[in-house]
Amino acid sequence: MTHRYDAVIVGTGLAGLRAAMEMPPGARVALLSKVYPTRSHSGAAQGGIAAALGNEEPDMPEWHTYDTVKGGDYLTDQDAAEVLAADGPRAIFELEHLGVPFNRRPDGRIAQRAFGGHTRDFGAAPVKRACHAADRTGRVVLDTLYMESVRRGFRVFPEFSLVDILLREGRVAGLVAMEFATGELHVFETRLLLLATGGFGRVYRTTSNCFANTGDGVYLAYRAGVPLQDMEFVQFHPTGIHGLGVLISEAARGEGGFLRNGDGQRFMDRYAPTIRDLAARDVVSRAILTEIREGRGIQGGDCVHLDLRHLGSERISEKLSEIASFIRIYLGLDPSNDLIPVSPTCHYMMGGIPTNLDGQVRAADGSIVPGFYAVGECACISVHGANRLGCNSLLDLVVFGRRAGQKMVKDLSLLDRTELSSKSESRIHGRMKRLVESRGEVRVPDLRSRMQSVMNRYGLAFRSEPGLRQGLAEIRELAEQCAFVKVENRQRGYNAELMEALELESLLGLSELILVSALQRTESRGAHYREDHPLRNDKDWLKHTLVRARTEGPEVIHRPVVITRFEPKERVY
Amino acid sequence: MKTISLNLRIWRQKGPGATGEFRNYETGPLSTDMSFLEMLDVLNEHLTLEGEEPVAFDHDCREGICGMCGAVVNGRPHGPQSRTTLCQLHLRQFHNGDTIVIEPFRAEAFKPLRDLMVDRSAFDGIIQNGGYVSVNTGGAPDANALPIPQRAAEQALDASECIGCGACVAACPNASAMLFVGAKVSHLALLPQGQPERNRRVINMVRKMDELGFGNCRNERECERVCPKGVTIRNIARLNREFLRAAFLSEEE
Repeated sequence: MTHRYDAVIVGTGLAGLRAAMEMPPGARVALLSKVYPTRSHSGAAQGGIAAALGNEEPDMPEWHTYDTVKGGDYLTDQDAAEVLAADGPRAIFELEHLGVPFNRRPDGRIAQRAFGGHTRDFGAAPVKRACHAADRTGRVVLDTLYMESVRRGFRVFPEFSLVDILLREGRVAGLVAMEFATGELHVFETRLLLLATGGFGRVYRTTSNCFANTGDGVYLAYRAGVPLQDMEFVQFHPTGIHGLGVLISEAARGEGGFLRNGDGQRFMDRYAPTIRDLAARDVVSRAILTEIREGRGIQGGDCVHLDLRHLGSERISEKLSEIASFIRIYLGLDPSNDLIPVSPTCHYMMGGIPTNLDGQVRAADGSIVPGFYAVGECACISVHGANRLGCNSLLDLVVFGRRAGQKMVKDLSLLDRTELSSKSESRIHGRMKRLVESRGEVRVPDLRSRMQSVMNRYGLAFRSEPGLRQGLAEIRELAEQCAFVKVENRQRGYNAELMEALELESLLGLSELILVSALQRTESRGAHYREDHPLRNDKDWLKHTLVRARTEGPEVIHRPVVITRFEPKERVY
Repeated sequence: MKTISLNLRIWRQKGPGATGEFRNYETGPLSTDMSFLEMLDVLNEHLTLEGEEPVAFDHDCREGICGMCGAVVNGRPHGPQSRTTLCQLHLRQFHNGDTIVIEPFRAEAFKPLRDLMVDRSAFDGIIQNGGYVSVNTGGAPDANALPIPQRAAEQALDASECIGCGACVAACPNASAMLFVGAKVSHLALLPQGQPERNRRVINMVRKMDELGFGNCRNERECERVCPKGVTIRNIARLNREFLRAAFLSEEE
């Protein structure tokens, strides 16, 4: 089936929905979502959304800009950080006007709380900058923006998976999507395409990401000829519930919880003698992984313990009730009596599709791809640099989602339609046919599980040249086996197995690009840590990585970082 | 590691118009640490290998926040554990040899799609009739506008806990959506942003709810018992008050 639209937005999390709000009445706009829109992963964001409102204590957007740049270990493009911070207060008031029930101060104004890395006076002391709606901030903002899109009557195609992006002569022509319920392929002819498809934490074994976060949009953009930026920067949260990846928030350690290794020892004393268990996320994650690698995991295995027992059941139920209920639900354990098995969990992708400040996708030479936009976790503006600060991602979505939407509205009148060839769906059709008719023996869950093991082993917060080379060789071998994947399920509709087979190709491709990018960056910066190059090296590496598709494989080039007012300094907290 | 084997009785239905039936499946030994949905994953893997069609069910985040999952387990939406979604249910809640009956959320307004999947888009139909604030979002915000008393903000926040899973409808003998509508109406009625459209909103949303075939509240309180987010029927009481108030005040009626 072929559809014709002026603009198609893929992904209905906060970024996609906020962009959609800019679309003028009368424009033919379609929203595609892999899941039902209100189930989008933005809804899982708990902590809050940062903005220098100064409701609790003095605060300024300049300080927020500085924190964002420093948090990103100076790989952040500073013009983007300026836009993010300056536009923050407006974005919060807008959400408030739409009906987001933020927590309030006694005087009725929006309440704010402290969060890691947010400071006053350019790093002098912590500042309360995070606006929040209990611990469900993402969820209520998502609901509110979705209500708004329902009001405007956008055509939504729920449970439609992006399976191909169609560019013609260097500009957007359309896309192909698969309808999950019927298995049917739909071609969308469109002048403008916005990707808001989120991250791809599913490349790792343990992740806080949901099942849909397989990075199809990012990988298909790469396949269509767009380079990907800063793919080596992957944020790991230190305390995911072992094996599940479900987050145990930093609040647990903030309240006095601490980590123990297999010998029962408080090992953070050795890694961060002053602030111990409250060191930065990347530092704690690396400490846990070191213990595990040196055989001091729990029973020699791949987790450590989080100890909350000394806090007592009263304090736990008062201050950490959500966390306690998670631990009860998922592990059947009582945190006032039991040790909690935790390990680092993949949380956020700093890298993605390179864009300018208006969400326009940039080709390898820095030029704009007409009609093509990306925003949110799938994009790399780069506002988060080498490491994202907590509460900056929701802000990123609504600030840059709006900007992308505004730019699209302007471009609507400038760009005309490109004719699609009649064989648009033939490439993907061929792929699907191969999967179902394959004589191979390889099953999707096996291959995916092996990929995740390789990525957890070599691509985690701890990297080295031999490990990355080994990992790359193994991932490439698995990618070759992808050709022998067999889909047993022959149903047309609701064929989850076929969908997972298609996703696996994206996941394997993105795994390779993470490793390729990590291998070439011979320094340590933010979330990227190289044991063989443990220091940051601004002389050679204060630049973005771009990886692009070549017939002989991925090729790496670089692009300078935008520095406006903050000269790189050592990152000390 | 403790393991148990279970007898599953699962509702199978090929499509919207098709006749459905319960079918029995015996599981091998399963770890009690396994989640309920992982058990269905394992079952589906077996079914697929045996050439049978896997059981279709909804899920996404598996952390209890997205609102996607849901089935009736032994007569109770989201299963026997209170204040959790189906994805948060684990096999440690069951015993070796238990028979577990698994069926979709059933309601006139939730059309069956396949097996355990139902179409819950009727909720959107209700939202479309007023569950939003029509303000001009393009303009500059008026300063630190709209101070809101903490108590009102907290009540609005409680109402906004609803994740739209539909368990309340499935649990209600009348398949009423009043807990859902009550939560949505309360959320906006308690905030100043919601005031301009307050009367019109509740009238239109209730009208749409009736039109879509959802029943009326009869104070059974089954809905709040199964709500994974603990939304209480106080929201239904508020919905009734709002509706009466609007019916008296509304000029359009």
